[in-house]
Amino acid sequence: MLRSAFPLVSHLPPRKPPPVRPARPPPVRPYASSAARPSPPPASAYVHLPFCRKRCLYCDFPIVALGSSSSSPVNGEGNDPRIADYVRLLLREVAATRPVSNDGVPLETVFFGGGTPSLVPPRLVAAVLDALRGKFGLSASPEVSIEMDPGTFDAAKLRELVGLGVNRVSLGVQAFQEDLLRACGRAHGLREVHEAVGIVTACEGLQNWSMDLISSLPHQTEEMWEESLRCTVDARPTHVSVYDLQIEQGTKFGQLYTPGVHPLPSETDSANFYKIASKRLSEAGYNHYEISSYCKTGYECKHNVTYWQNRSFYAFGLGSASYINGVRFSRPRRMKEYADWVQKLEIGAWSHEPDSAGMKDMAMDVVMLSLRTAWGLDLRSFSKSFGKSLTVSLCNTFRPFVESGLVIVMDMERRALQPSDFKLDLQYEGEIESKVAFIRLSDPDGFLLSNELISLAFGVIAP
Amino acid sequence: MAGAAALRRSARRAIRPDEYTFSRTLQHAERLLSSQASPDRGGVLGSELGLYPPERIRNFSIIAHVDHGKSTLADRLLELTGTIKKGHGQPQYLDKLQVERERGITVKAQTATMFYRHAHDESDAPNYLINLIDTPGHVDFSYEVSRSLAACQGALLVVDAAQGVQAQTIANFYLAFESNLSIIPVINKIDQPTADPDNVKVQLKRLFDIDPSEALLTSAKTGQGLSQVLPAVIERIPSPPGKCDSPVRMLLLDSYYDEYKGVICHVAIVDGALHKGDKIASAATGRTYEVLDVGIMHPELTPTGVLYTGQVGYVISGMRSTKEARIGDTLHQAKSTVEPLPGFKPARHMVFSGLYPADGSDFDTLSHAIEKLTCNDASVSVTKETSTALGMGFRCGFLGLLHMDVFHQRLEQEHGAQVISTIPTVPYIFEYGDGSKVQVENPATLASNPGQRIAACWEPTVIATIIIPSEYVGPVIMLCSERRGEQREYTFIDAQRALLKYQLPLREIIVDFYNELKSITSGYATFDYEDSEYQQSDLVKMDILLNGQPVDAMATIVHNQKAQRVGRELVEKLKKFIERQMFEITIQAAIGSKVIARETLSAMRKNVLAKCYGGDITRKKKLLEKQKEGKKRMKRVGSVDIPQEAFHEILKVSNSK
Ligand SMILES: Nc1nc2c(ncn2[C@@H]2O[C@H](COP(=O)(O)OP(=O)(O)O)[C@@H](O)[C@H]2O)c(=O)[nH]1
Ligand SMILES: [Mg+2]
Repeated sequence: MLRSAFPLVSHLPPRKPPPVRPARPPPVRPYASSAARPSPPPASAYVHLPFCRKRCLYCDFPIVALGSSSSSPVNGEGNDPRIADYVRLLLREVAATRPVSNDGVPLETVFFGGGTPSLVPPRLVAAVLDALRGKFGLSASPEVSIEMDPGTFDAAKLRELVGLGVNRVSLGVQAFQEDLLRACGRAHGLREVHEAVGIVTACEGLQNWSMDLISSLPHQTEEMWEESLRCTVDARPTHVSVYDLQIEQGTKFGQLYTPGVHPLPSETDSANFYKIASKRLSEAGYNHYEISSYCKTGYECKHNVTYWQNRSFYAFGLGSASYINGVRFSRPRRMKEYADWVQKLEIGAWSHEPDSAGMKDMAMDVVMLSLRTAWGLDLRSFSKSFGKSLTVSLCNTFRPFVESGLVIVMDMERRALQPSDFKLDLQYEGEIESKVAFIRLSDPDGFLLSNELISLAFGVIAP
Repeated sequence: MAGAAALRRSARRAIRPDEYTFSRTLQHAERLLSSQASPDRGGVLGSELGLYPPERIRNFSIIAHVDHGKSTLADRLLELTGTIKKGHGQPQYLDKLQVERERGITVKAQTATMFYRHAHDESDAPNYLINLIDTPGHVDFSYEVSRSLAACQGALLVVDAAQGVQAQTIANFYLAFESNLSIIPVINKIDQPTADPDNVKVQLKRLFDIDPSEALLTSAKTGQGLSQVLPAVIERIPSPPGKCDSPVRMLLLDSYYDEYKGVICHVAIVDGALHKGDKIASAATGRTYEVLDVGIMHPELTPTGVLYTGQVGYVISGMRSTKEARIGDTLHQAKSTVEPLPGFKPARHMVFSGLYPADGSDFDTLSHAIEKLTCNDASVSVTKETSTALGMGFRCGFLGLLHMDVFHQRLEQEHGAQVISTIPTVPYIFEYGDGSKVQVENPATLASNPGQRIAACWEPTVIATIIIPSEYVGPVIMLCSERRGEQREYTFIDAQRALLKYQLPLREIIVDFYNELKSITSGYATFDYEDSEYQQSDLVKMDILLNGQPVDAMATIVHNQKAQRVGRELVEKLKKFIERQMFEITIQAAIGSKVIARETLSAMRKNVLAKCYGGDITRKKKLLEKQKEGKKRMKRVGSVDIPQEAFHEILKVSNSK
């Protein structure tokens, strides 16, 4: 029931037939919709629930730290008036938002992200879901995800959420080492991790959950990383997200550490962690379907897939980013400014400027997002939207990396082509489309250098 | 000018400092200045200029080692004569360029006319017209110096009373001496506690055979002794020679381009008089022009409508570009044939470097900036060249290192151009087996594996003059011999100071020599050099290769015995400055097909953003766009991106350390 509707599966053996096309027609590729065609209305909504017990030392997200408080470690914050106030504001934003289409395209995915959404009492989550349902409608079997942190929920709370329609949990475990959890300022310890995994796996009606991990933490060793991956595999989640620690300016970690310098792992070690994850999780039957995402077949995060396919989506809440009618918009990251903005929205004093995101920007988005995935860039549709000559230049730029194995070219059947085939094709411009159909970055080496490769592509698109 | 020498000597006589006054001069100057506002006053001024026949004119320069107070002294003299107001404006009035003010050096010679009353007649009106021509102190600009000196009959030789004679003092003295000028020694900065004028007198006697009684003692800071200066100029420097009643003939001293006025020429009238409206012709090009405006630098352009024999001033004649105004050319009355005046020693370009736009796209900006700058600095030679690594650019020839530096700085400061310059090189001469010879101004143009045997190579040398406190003689001799120098002279100029002369390959001093010299002598050494002849030498071309591809802009010519060391240094430096890329990079230095140094830069392992970023892709995109921009700023050879800094850094690789 939660099978992916999208042909994202990429771990096809070379001679297997193409993946079965979804029953439902695949969504129109948004980038095929450049100037003339309007982009399809959003079928996804992101909801930002910014509350955390405290700010993790590496975090630069728009969050509200509640401060550790009160009686029950699990439900203590639930009654914090700031949460209810915020949800009221959020509901006002939903109410003031005009649906993009009138013919009622229902939401296929809803994602409660944070912050720590699991700190929000289920009744308030319910209120948001109800509002969304009322405003846009929910499809027959939508994917409703929520991020949850160990130590912020018990079995009852989770059951309640599932009762509301939540059917996917993204569990922010991050590490299986007490010391590491403490070092990154997590509000939970190892005991809470094991409890949470127990609660999630035991929960009736919840089949789909993701274990979220962070690699390249300060003082993290290869042994620790192997251990975390082992524990992850043992917990049998349907999905694993492996984030690589980014040292952001303005965070505590930004003051304390320099990337590549002790106690952070060296560039080599950090690359190694990435490769280990790819290896261990693949061995355990997970598909590495996006740079930092792994899943059992059919369990891609549909909501995130929306992003990577460059399709439009609603967003609600502090600092959240929406993509509607070809316009990306980030809401204010400060509560006061966000509240002012909601008010403007309500009185009609704000609307999405039909900003003329040019073809170049559009092409960059498509390349940037699709090359993050194992599915890769669909050259035929790219060529249709942005022209053959750009496609050829792109291929030319990538050619040396096809030879060195960082980039993989595939035919229509997603069979990998030899670098020599690729060369041959480029000699006859007209032939590209007939033979080379997809370009993707290799796993793990190409993924590991994705910033380099994508920025090279940017250089071709917007010289 | 030979006959003038006797005249000069007869003009020397002692004068008393209280023999003149300058209050009348001030009034006169104010009148002149106010006349700038109304162009019709030119005639009035012109008639005033008529009051100054050649015998009432003096043209002189100030020459000195850098920092000995030349510009400050010039300021004081301009104030003294009311040409500029005291305490107004910036100090070192004549140093107009930003680079001059910043570096405390004079690059372009500037001229100013002063009116001065010298009390040997009864009237209290100004009775002398004095032209002061400021000169650059540095040897690179000896071209400018000789240009200035050609319009002078005398020079003040300024020496710091504490520092004594320094390297450039010597070079400049000889330039003036060879031009047959009357030299007035001025021992300046006598206010300093460490001033030792007597010792300086001894040095002047020993080195230049100057009679100690001739030296003036001054402080441009306190004003002490300044009142003797202009009287000495009048008494000891002869008036300009010239025939008042001949058709006009003048020497073109300098020219520059002004956006509003067009080409402005500085001229010294040798014979006759020049009036507004006159038709003049260039002896060099034969072109004729009408004099649209003529006047004096007082110190700003001040129209007078006329210039008379012996006077120095400016002419605007509708020239389109400074290329028409050749320095050293003779301008004369049109439709008359004249004997051209002896021109100047032409500039010799001894240091060459490729200049490329630092950000690939703005070749046009650079081209425009270079054109503008060379409009006013004819001493730079410019030819287009192309580099595979750097694209389109220019090969520029400079008089010397400082000249090159100053040119770069002016490009950036005055014209906003960002440049990458290649390793400076000198003009080598290579002779092939068949006897044919080539002059190589760009190492990249020399074949790495020539089909023909190279029979011989020559490189230019210089005679370097170094003055140092005697305790540093040892290390300096070491340095010079490391730089393949040969000692030509070793003397003491006084009890503490030694003078060394070395013949050195120019190549050895263009990179890092002066800094090294300064650092081993705690800053005490002064250094100057003059061009000398070519010498035969064992030279090789060294290529730098990245993944087997030669980087033409990094090719260099080195002495065979130093190739190994220079190669190592270059390769190590590059390894530091080239960033890791998606593949391994080998960096090699090679002579022909023989690799003499090699480093490998391993491939980048990881550059990925694996972060939970919700739908907010804009920040991530910005990051990638920034990365893209970073790549764009790089220069590419084969598939290797080279940061621009790498080109700057390898300039710093010394060739002899
Ligand atoms: N104490 C003292 N300093 C002086 C005197 N004349 C010039 N200076 C200083 O010496 C420095 C160099 O002077 P400048 O005129 O620029 O020298 P130039 O390089 O020969 O033109 C400046 O800081 C002046 O202020 C002087 O008579 N006494
Ligand atoms: Mg000066």
